[in-house]
Amino acid sequence: MNFFLTLVLTGVSVGSVYALIATGLNLSFWTTRTLNFGQGSIMMLCSFGFAFMVTNRVSLPVAIGVCFVVSALIGVVVERLTVRPALKRGGGSMGWVVSTLGLGILIQGLAAKFFGSQAVAFPEILFSVRDSVRIAGVAFSLQYAVVIAITLTVILSLELFLRHSRLGHAVRAVSEDAEFARVQGIPVDLIVVSSFVASSLLAALAGLLAAQIGGTVDSSFGFDLVLLGFVAGVLGGMGSSAGALFGGIALGIITKLVGGYISTAAEHGIAFALLMLILALLPNGFFGRNEVRRA
Amino acid sequence: MDRITYLASAAVVGMLAVWNPAAFAQSAGPVKLGLSAALTGPFNEFGEGIKRGAEIAIEEWNAAGGVLGRKVELAEVLDDQLIPDRAVQNMRRILDNQDIVAIVAPGPSGPTLAVVGMVVADGRPFCNSQAQTPTIVHPDGPDKPPHPNVFSVAMSISSEAEKLGTAVSAKYNNIGIISESTSYGKLGAELIRKSVLGIKPNATVTAETYNQRAQDMTAQLVRLQRAGAEVIVFVGLGADATVLRKTMTRLEIALPLYGSSGLVNVAFMEGVGDLAVGVRATNATTFGQKPFPAKTQAFLDRYRAKFGNDRWYGADTENPLISMAPLVTGAYDCVNVLLSGIKRAGSTEPKAVVRAIEDTKDMPGLLVPSIAFSPKNHSAFSPSDLAIYEVKKRGDKLALDVIEK
Amino acid sequence: MKIRQDSIATAVGLLAVATVFAAAGWLRPGTVQLVTFVLIAIVLAQSINVLTGLAGEISLGHAGLFGIGAYVSGILARGGALDPLLAIILGAVGGGAIGLMLSYPAGRVREVYLAMMTLGFGMVFYEVIREWQDMTGGVMGLSNVPSVVLKNLSLLGVRIDGGDYLRFVVVIAAALLLILRNVSQSKLGRSMVAVQANAVAAASMGISPAGTKRLAYGISGVVAGLAGALYAHLVGYLGPDSFGLPRSIEVLVISIVGGLGSITGQVLSAIAFTVLPERLQAFAEYQFIVYGLILACTLVLMPKGIAGLLLPAPRFIRSGSKRRADIATKGAGEAAPWFLERPASSSVAVRVDNVTVRFGGLVAVDNVSLQIMPGRITGLIGPNGSGKSTLVNVISGVYRCTSGAVHFGPRLISGLSDVNIARLGLIRTFQDPRLVPSFTVRENLLLGRSRLWKHSAIAAMLGLPAATDDEGAALRAAEAVLQQTGLTDVADRPVETLPYGSMRLAELGRAIMACPDVLLLDEPAAGLSEPEVARLSEILRWLKTGGVTVLLIDHHMDFIAGLVDEVFVLDSGRIIFSGEIEQMRKDPDVVAAYLGSEELEHA
Repeated sequence: MNFFLTLVLTGVSVGSVYALIATGLNLSFWTTRTLNFGQGSIMMLCSFGFAFMVTNRVSLPVAIGVCFVVSALIGVVVERLTVRPALKRGGGSMGWVVSTLGLGILIQGLAAKFFGSQAVAFPEILFSVRDSVRIAGVAFSLQYAVVIAITLTVILSLELFLRHSRLGHAVRAVSEDAEFARVQGIPVDLIVVSSFVASSLLAALAGLLAAQIGGTVDSSFGFDLVLLGFVAGVLGGMGSSAGALFGGIALGIITKLVGGYISTAAEHGIAFALLMLILALLPNGFFGRNEVRRA
Repeated sequence: MDRITYLASAAVVGMLAVWNPAAFAQSAGPVKLGLSAALTGPFNEFGEGIKRGAEIAIEEWNAAGGVLGRKVELAEVLDDQLIPDRAVQNMRRILDNQDIVAIVAPGPSGPTLAVVGMVVADGRPFCNSQAQTPTIVHPDGPDKPPHPNVFSVAMSISSEAEKLGTAVSAKYNNIGIISESTSYGKLGAELIRKSVLGIKPNATVTAETYNQRAQDMTAQLVRLQRAGAEVIVFVGLGADATVLRKTMTRLEIALPLYGSSGLVNVAFMEGVGDLAVGVRATNATTFGQKPFPAKTQAFLDRYRAKFGNDRWYGADTENPLISMAPLVTGAYDCVNVLLSGIKRAGSTEPKAVVRAIEDTKDMPGLLVPSIAFSPKNHSAFSPSDLAIYEVKKRGDKLALDVIEK
Repeated sequence: MKIRQDSIATAVGLLAVATVFAAAGWLRPGTVQLVTFVLIAIVLAQSINVLTGLAGEISLGHAGLFGIGAYVSGILARGGALDPLLAIILGAVGGGAIGLMLSYPAGRVREVYLAMMTLGFGMVFYEVIREWQDMTGGVMGLSNVPSVVLKNLSLLGVRIDGGDYLRFVVVIAAALLLILRNVSQSKLGRSMVAVQANAVAAASMGISPAGTKRLAYGISGVVAGLAGALYAHLVGYLGPDSFGLPRSIEVLVISIVGGLGSITGQVLSAIAFTVLPERLQAFAEYQFIVYGLILACTLVLMPKGIAGLLLPAPRFIRSGSKRRADIATKGAGEAAPWFLERPASSSVAVRVDNVTVRFGGLVAVDNVSLQIMPGRITGLIGPNGSGKSTLVNVISGVYRCTSGAVHFGPRLISGLSDVNIARLGLIRTFQDPRLVPSFTVRENLLLGRSRLWKHSAIAAMLGLPAATDDEGAALRAAEAVLQQTGLTDVADRPVETLPYGSMRLAELGRAIMACPDVLLLDEPAAGLSEPEVARLSEILRWLKTGGVTVLLIDHHMDFIAGLVDEVFVLDSGRIIFSGEIEQMRKDPDVVAAYLGSEELEHA
């Protein structure tokens, strides 16, 4: 078995999930320069709810549909109730960091209360654990492959949308200067809300894919993944789709290689050490624009 | 009223709220027991399980006339949600209550380790039903004297490690261990390694760790593969075992999988489905052998009468969940140990009770079929109280069968 | 009124301390332990209050600093290796050291990145304690720390039981609160709030944003470390789970609910959040839901927390200093205007030589050379976008020029930071008043004094006479400035409640407080009413008689005409005229570019 290749392939796959999360964070960052610190709870709620519904004989398409609708609604709530009021009040980022984090904790608490805190099994929806293809003699699970494929598709579609569609251009206008865009007649509020909805949908999707790989979901699912998504976003450069992809995959590969060759104990910690290093040395990440204003 | 007055009154009210006049009545009322555990919150399967097991035992004693002619009462039942600080606060409250004569430990190792020091300093008898870390009872090592007033019936990780080590070294020479990075996991890995090397000094043992709720274990498995492992021993909880089993299948690693008692739980079975077949784990013998001994059946009937098919018992009346043993029956045995100690001592005086408990011999229990202590040994559980279970497919359901005692 | 507020707080505080002291002997051990936990929570909340409340730096990983104090103290004191008292001190020092280390990377980023970085720090800390088994006991935890619950604690050889430890902790907590109140009401606290409100404006007065943040992190680290060390010797056992994200969240909740910036608010909040879960066991089940709700709503609905609801707004000047100022003024009469004591020859000139400023492809300032003559008022005018503000930014050090040089007297200053240039005595104002909105006029004025303080940070923290005297002198100077700017009646009102004109005058007053050698005023008359413009002219003439060199940028021709000795006209980054203002009105280039229509008569 080719150990290096195995680690890299898995790294690309888990990295894709990080990239997806980072892209979701980018969406709200573009329009409001904010991040939803409670993103993980959306992932958890969607996955938990989905597992719960499927166990109770709800059909797959309906379950997925319900999940996405609920996530979208939460996205609206996040924007309306936690981000917009905080931005209106001014006073820097502290307001929305704390309020989005708070909403995330609230959702997690409610889920733990009503769904219970036991881990619940997550059904297999895309291929089974045994399906794989061979790459250079190494078994590459189709479950991993499909995650990579979905991520690439989503991110590429997003980039195409932003570059070549009218709505995409409007989003970029809002990102550059919201007041100016408003004056131009662009429905800024609608675009901002939509960016949060899209962000939540991406989070929900990432959650489903991650739960599919892991196999169980509990009420603390998601929080850790979102942190890693942040790290991926910062690594690649906040606000850049290419950056999210690069950052996610790079992070995935680095953590797996560190775990495989140095120590499994360091696998988790290396991500955060990397975060602090990048923020200290290269705050704009590899592909970011000059987003970080020097203090 | 203006703000200054408001503040002053708030300060006075605050001080009154904090001050509680103590009721120091030393009456000959009921014999009072106390416990702090995770009754609510994400980990309440541990705490609530203790409470239920304890309640059944107390009911039985009271039905038979109580102890020393007095009724038994679970007087202080406090919730710590597995948070060590909370457990310390709760234990302080329990110890402050001079009416409490004996205490049941909080449950898993985290909070128990946090409070054991203060309980030892107090001296009242303390029984551990779930925490698997041996240092709770024997702080300086298994050969050194135990804490004078701490006893345990819990399925200790040392027993499980010995059982697992013996089982795998009988068949394999190259052992791979994957454990969670908590005290339970790390200590377990260390003890399994010791056990294996004690039997086969030339065996190769490789150990890797993962963080709880990790989503992928590729790195760990790759490292074990590189070391040439022939079998994988897992020390952790079922939810994480799911991830392991799936990752193994994806990477086409078809090695036999053994594990500790946390491995085979509902989350695991439902999470991996048929992939669980063939997985082996240690667990208490309590509910493994059917038909159940009379005492066990009596307990089960009593439990079902009071709590029904709850999440500890499980939906299948004929086959209660194996996990009920460590989660519930441990507390049942603990209460019996404490109360029979009081009975034999003829009083509730702490030193006398402790001495009486130390003299316990051949006391029938559920988690530990035959409970015995001695001045040197305060842990009743031994490897012979464990069985190796294997997951088998029966019809379209999965079941656990004992394959080795 | 303000004096009474502080004294009442001190009185209530001392009463509480005395009560606890007396009661410690006969309360039940459980209550003693609870009160000790409460005090530790109060101390920990204060550490966030300094960092987030005053300096505005968010921290989502404060459990790490708390943990460092706990583990350092615990490890050092174990087995009798070091006396616990010494260990506690070292624990606090350890927290401060790591806090200081954090300030370096943290000082480079802002806002959301800071939040993530502190989150990362908290998680790295958690992983490190879990892995470093030999030192910290790893996941099994550190047991046998000399402590109250294990009944084996002695400080300096004296056996300490629960009650004694409570007394010890309450004294430390009380002393700490007094010190932190001093910090808050001294130049230190005011600097932190100023940097949070507007870092560039703070720098323009000689307050170093980086240095101020480092101080805030350092103090916060020491206080958090102290809380951790006290905690270690209370509970005797340290497990990594006590120092993870839930703890950081809990401290944040306490701090926000208490009201960031308010010391009393933090105390009340810490009491509530430590006692309630203990008394209401049912609370435990809803804890996360409650915390989540609180965090989600508080900053939006009740941004000032409990303090905002119950208490008067915290103020930032020590009553001691005020008393010192009042006493002196009562005797001495009006404070002497110190400018007039400056010898005429000491006035400073500013020389700009061939300065060009390029932003990417855009040339904002094109090869500009000008001299600001010492002791005179020089005007700089030009249409919007001509580069006036850019030039001021270059002179004051906010921007770096692409080429050229600027001299302040004989000294080359281009290349120095804005903070250092301000400290040399070159002060500027901004086009929009950049005051601290929640500060009173008086407090804002004191910010201007920053480059002239003579007392040290330690003197400020301990409220030593050196600090009180220095602040008293500054307050007296402020009285004079208030008179000059006509703001005496509103001196103690928050500037955000004042009309725009008053705010502009206050900003000017702040600049005057710095006793500048050179003053760059960026459109000081914009938005002022007629009487206010008149007052402004008076002030400028007064400054001139004091030998201050002034560069005046404005559009009001009438206003400028009466004041300036010479004028420079800027257009599209180039000087198109320099000389007397009468000449300027007739110059064809100026007329073409600027005066063409009747636009600028009363701009």
